[in-house]
Amino acid sequence: MQRRKIDLGYAASLLLSIALAFLIGALILAVSGHAPLNAYTEMVKGSLSNARHIGDTLEYAMVLCICGLACAVGSRAGIFNVGGEGQLLLGAVVAAQVGVAMEGSPKIVVIVCAALAAMAMGGAYAFVPGVLKVKLKVNEVITTIMLNTVAIYICQYLAKGPWRNSNPNIIAGTENLAQGYWLARPIAGSKLSSAIFASAVIAFLVWYIMQKTSVGYEMRLTGQNPRFARFAGLKTDTIVILAMLVSGAMCGAVGMFRVYGAEHIFKSSISNEYYFDGMMVAMITQYNPAGIILMSLFFAFLKIGAAGMEANAGVPNQIYLILQTVIIFFMAAQRGIAASVRAAAAKRTAQKEARARLAEGGARNG
Amino acid sequence: MDEILRHIFSAGTFNQMLRSATPVALAAMGGLLTEHAGIMNIGMDGMILMGAFIGVLGSYLCASAAMGVASAVLLGVAVGLFFALFVVKFKSDEFIIGCALNTFAAGLTAYLSRSIFGLSGTSGHDIAHLPTVHLDFLDAIPFFGEILNDNSFFIYLTWGLVALMWVFVYKTPCGFWIRAAGEKPETLRTAGISPERMKWIASILCGICCGLAGAHLSLGYLNGSFVEGMSNSRGYIAFACVIFGAANPAKAYIAALMFGFFDALGYRLQSYISSDLTSIIPYLITVVMMVYVVVRGQRKKTTLRTNTTAQKE
Amino acid sequence: MQETVVKFEHISMEFPGVLANDDVSLDIRRGEVFALVGENGAGKSTLMKILYGINEPTGGTLTVRGERVERFSPKDAIARGIGMVHQHFMLVPSFTVAQNIVLSREPRKFGVLFDDRAAVSEAQRLAREYALTVDPTAVVREISVGLQQRVEILKTLYRGADILILDEPTAVLTPQETDELFAVIRRIVREKNMTVIIITHKLYEVMAISDRVGVMRQGRLIGVEETKNVNERMLASMMVGREVLLGRLDRAGEAGEVRLAVEKLNVCDDRGLTAVRDLSLTVRAGEVLGIAAIEGNGQSELLEAVTGMRGAQSGRVLLGGADVTGSSPGARRARGLSHIPEDRIATGVSTAASVSDNLLVGRHRERRFNILGLHQKTKAVRDYTQQLYDEYDIRGAGVDTTVGSMSGGNMQKVVVAREFSLDANVLIISQPTRGVDVGAMEFIHSHIIKKRNEGCAILLASADLDEVFRLSDRIITMYEGEITGEFAADAITKEEIGYYMTGSGREEAQYAKAQN
Repeated sequence: MQRRKIDLGYAASLLLSIALAFLIGALILAVSGHAPLNAYTEMVKGSLSNARHIGDTLEYAMVLCICGLACAVGSRAGIFNVGGEGQLLLGAVVAAQVGVAMEGSPKIVVIVCAALAAMAMGGAYAFVPGVLKVKLKVNEVITTIMLNTVAIYICQYLAKGPWRNSNPNIIAGTENLAQGYWLARPIAGSKLSSAIFASAVIAFLVWYIMQKTSVGYEMRLTGQNPRFARFAGLKTDTIVILAMLVSGAMCGAVGMFRVYGAEHIFKSSISNEYYFDGMMVAMITQYNPAGIILMSLFFAFLKIGAAGMEANAGVPNQIYLILQTVIIFFMAAQRGIAASVRAAAAKRTAQKEARARLAEGGARNG
Repeated sequence: MDEILRHIFSAGTFNQMLRSATPVALAAMGGLLTEHAGIMNIGMDGMILMGAFIGVLGSYLCASAAMGVASAVLLGVAVGLFFALFVVKFKSDEFIIGCALNTFAAGLTAYLSRSIFGLSGTSGHDIAHLPTVHLDFLDAIPFFGEILNDNSFFIYLTWGLVALMWVFVYKTPCGFWIRAAGEKPETLRTAGISPERMKWIASILCGICCGLAGAHLSLGYLNGSFVEGMSNSRGYIAFACVIFGAANPAKAYIAALMFGFFDALGYRLQSYISSDLTSIIPYLITVVMMVYVVVRGQRKKTTLRTNTTAQKE
Repeated sequence: MQETVVKFEHISMEFPGVLANDDVSLDIRRGEVFALVGENGAGKSTLMKILYGINEPTGGTLTVRGERVERFSPKDAIARGIGMVHQHFMLVPSFTVAQNIVLSREPRKFGVLFDDRAAVSEAQRLAREYALTVDPTAVVREISVGLQQRVEILKTLYRGADILILDEPTAVLTPQETDELFAVIRRIVREKNMTVIIITHKLYEVMAISDRVGVMRQGRLIGVEETKNVNERMLASMMVGREVLLGRLDRAGEAGEVRLAVEKLNVCDDRGLTAVRDLSLTVRAGEVLGIAAIEGNGQSELLEAVTGMRGAQSGRVLLGGADVTGSSPGARRARGLSHIPEDRIATGVSTAASVSDNLLVGRHRERRFNILGLHQKTKAVRDYTQQLYDEYDIRGAGVDTTVGSMSGGNMQKVVVAREFSLDANVLIISQPTRGVDVGAMEFIHSHIIKKRNEGCAILLASADLDEVFRLSDRIITMYEGEITGEFAADAITKEEIGYYMTGSGREEAQYAKAQN
């Protein structure tokens, strides 16, 4: 159907924002006594110099991308899922426990069960705020933020309590996953796993559903103008809840990938507010699927590269958070800044005209 | 059982409740202003974190805790201005800006902390912290004296601030304007007052409150140290308090005390029940409250409608 | 002759693409009640917003009390003694009456604190002085609309206004409340020598309250008269009287069986007030029933209740004999109902979606457009929408452009194309040609008549009387949610209709009903 044409103005401001972010980053680096050029070189090396680094970059990009797409699915239908972090963590902890409980079963069975359980968990956890929004008009942003924290504590409780690791040195973690259930790793030493293929399938499916199917079409119309959608006879309530379910299930799946592909255990490192990063990727790319993929790669490059920068140039890796958020600030304010600049220019012209009129009047009078 | 109860409801628990509640309450005092002004401010966590860091840094550089607090307040003004610039002036999505501010603060403070204090953070550096206040007359009062005495100065400051904020919001013209700016900005505009200006003011005051909350966290609560991510979602808790307390300073403070109580309870109950489970309660209550508020609002509208219909006929 | 307090000279106000005020010159005199009448969009509110400083005119000069206005802002207007009661009240719902009255100039104690007691006594004093009884401590959210309006008036008085603008003050009031308001207006004019400008389109109110009346049409001031020299019929023809540009259209066939029936329907508006009252009507196959009513008299709520966009309080809606009162819009569409909504941007289209997406909806689940109800067949969709695009003569950059980038007329054609292509047997049409150029208007009209001739039952509401006359077989007039008259379209004149629309004929109609 309709393909959004690449908006040149948007692309230009994105590039400008990135350039500005690196400039500001360079300034911060210089002030704190690091050579910016050297640091940035190490950053590139840190994420792209060898297969292992590239693998890690792809793994993180995958997480960002699926989280971003999950956010986009909701937003396309007009509901904003901020609760992905909770859905991800709950999905992860359930998936991990499925692997522990089913130990002894064939790998394929365990993996399928874990994935289904994680998605069901994530979906169910997203269902609650979805229904509250549709039926009672309770603001989903606030409820999902609250439910995030609830989920974090539930996971901590499970990982410390009933599902805790038998090794007393691991304080908050589930039982280790039997090695037989680990997802294959195409690159030795890297966290990248075969989950990336599953992610690619998910990404494709999301794009396909949103762009090419009747359901996606209905979701789009509902998100764009819910009143129009209802007027046109669509079942908007069902559509919104469905979108929320899908979004939650995707977050749950990411949790499962993190456990079976990267960490092989549920612990706090499963996600460090990764969903929020993915959500911001989605927001600044205006929920465009292709944009989300590209931006995820870029943000992953920043994060993984920053680790290399820390190791080899001695720069604290958190500089990537600064670069990332500066881009976000500029992109979020893009329209406002442009409007302010235009208004200022208009004012200047008006003043000039007024002055010219005045001068003209003066000349006539004189 | 008796033993357990005595353990739970000891003076120590309530003292801990006060201590845990204070940083949250301070931030909530700011958050309720932006809430009244019609800005959904979820960037408080970042504001607190930056306040905490700058507080430590100021104290470290000037060797004075007071200077630390002062610099945190100044930073609060700057962050408030920054937030308002984007949200009010550029009309950006307040949610994106809030989220980004949190991440930005996490990145910036960690980066600066490592650059200035080294990898191990502030431990090993001698940083002047806020003294505790001992009031002799409180010694005479059993139980309550124990709860109220020997606290950081900020706990008492918070009480003052809650009262002050209540007066400001409900008893001063400026408070009225801020509330009008959030509830019905056109009203203010047609009265010749700029609602945008009110949003700027609310945002700056919120920055100051969060700066204070941060300074208290690092210089008072943790006796002069900065730990990466030390705000530990307190900004979100403060936000929940604001929602829970319907942006009323007294109610928001009570909500903060409730969080503090469950926090303290968690510590006490560690041997019986996981503190993680007790920590959930306030968040769940907030969600339930939101549902309740909406349902009640709808019911009110229905009764109003039937009333007016009856009146007409 | 009284002194002139406000002088508009050659005022023009141009918004992007719209000339809302076109060279308006008008004098308002001290101590008079001046009524400004005109249809919706005639530019009355725009002109008054200039006086209140909300709009800065793009041309002409405004003089208040002999001083030329240079700075346009509400603050400056207030300082000049101008007060405005907006159509949508500017009150903070959670504040008390007194707090709303003193907002922006609060009495203070100790310099910084709000003096609540002083605010209450000030409110009481004003209420007594102007005999506008209100409870200063009541919360605005909880008082009736009539009382809220009093608070608005008290607010302007508190700010020292002696020129008072009332924008459609009676639109939300009951008849009793209207009487009370008029008593207040007379009192403040007579006793305080204030000047009142009242915007309205209810003509009998003009006759009842005003000293002079100005009629606006399409941004221009058509005439200013002493009220005692005119009557409602004259005003009505000045207000709506544009020349009939278009002739009647060919009709064929007789009205058939009843397709749409509304029985004793009661509907509330957004504020929860009754907008449609015990209303019943029927529409037959092959006829157009036109509703002639001035905006805000319940016709919008009626049509929304018929199409399912708004719930009904009581009564029934029958489509082809089946009760659909509680059904969703989708379920009603499934029974053969189509709807051209009043506000195309809010309801009729998705501006962010492409023309193609907008044309398809409603049929997108049909087998020919997808595989297994899942995969959308791009080509089939494209062919279909392209065909509609051509057939309905939509002019734009093709079916892939977003609807938001199109002109109003073409946007409306998108709505018409979709709704008319759905093979409906009941068509609900609201404001079909608002903001549409004459060519597109002719086109849309001919399609409506074509549908009629094909046997559709059509219910039409329009603020444009010419349109109602041109298209309808029968016309009903609505006033305050009730039907005030029913006529065969060729047996009544526009002036007479205008008379019934303004509520004037109501008593006669009721009398006639009682006689029967």
